[in-house]
Amino acid sequence: MKANDPKHPWARLTAAARTMTDDRDNAAPHGFATRVVALGFANEPRLTVSLFERFAWRAVGVAGLLAILSVVVNYSVLSRTVAVEEQITEEESMAQLLSVD
Amino acid sequence: MPDDNPPFDLADCLERVRHRDQAAARELVEHLHPLVIRIVRSHLPRRVAEEDLSQEIFLKMFTRLAQYQGAVPFPHWVSRIAVTTCIDHLRAQKRRPEFRWADLSETEAEVLDNVITNENDVPANDAMAAHEIVHKLLAQLKPDDQLVIRLLDLEQKTIAEISAITGWNQSLVKVRAFRARRKLQKLFHELEQDERV
Repeated sequence: MKANDPKHPWARLTAAARTMTDDRDNAAPHGFATRVVALGFANEPRLTVSLFERFAWRAVGVAGLLAILSVVVNYSVLSRTVAVEEQITEEESMAQLLSVD
Repeated sequence: MPDDNPPFDLADCLERVRHRDQAAARELVEHLHPLVIRIVRSHLPRRVAEEDLSQEIFLKMFTRLAQYQGAVPFPHWVSRIAVTTCIDHLRAQKRRPEFRWADLSETEAEVLDNVITNENDVPANDAMAAHEIVHKLLAQLKPDDQLVIRLLDLEQKTIAEISAITGWNQSLVKVRAFRARRKLQKLFHELEQDERV
């Protein structure tokens, strides 16, 4: 006999157990709602902190992107500056050589 | 006598709670308390006070309120939080008490003996004892299996309803019900043998 068979001892026990009515009061005990709400709302600063953390990480990401973007946009200027600096260095060494002679 | 209280406007109350209205939050807790306490009482783990457990459920509700999108009715959403919180507490209790004839009261032992040895229904005045035996037998099952059998056999929910309450798919609910019934079958077999000794 299977446990879901109506003649099985389990089925007869549960059928009897279901007839039991719970007469206990279901209303919230006095002060329960006030306490729970106070605790629930007191946890709110943690939410603010986690929101701050979330936005802080986003800010880091945006800052990184802006940095990359600024390098890309100013690449031509940067490369020109490097070339000029190299030229100056070469000229200086040439001048040193000439002055030695 | 007509009811003078206006019907509870859940949507309006939720909106006010989202705007940090403490009075609305208290109204919400008082409105949902009967639902939550019924779930807590039917799945209450040993050594956990029902008030502590219901408080934990309401705190989770407030913490997760921003995640509620309205896909299911709000009371269903809260029911799922309540059920999963009870399950987490049941899982935390790793050791399950052994079921022994010696631990039953005289009436409980008599009722159990009667259902094992004959096919008569349990008399109405023994319902309390039957209720106690059912809960002691359920405590022998794994927490997830306990939950499924409680919902199926005591609350007479359908597989689809259990799936909605727990968030488990219907196949998983069926597997757990099958496993739990097999364990119960084995328990009754052992009890029959102990009874004969």
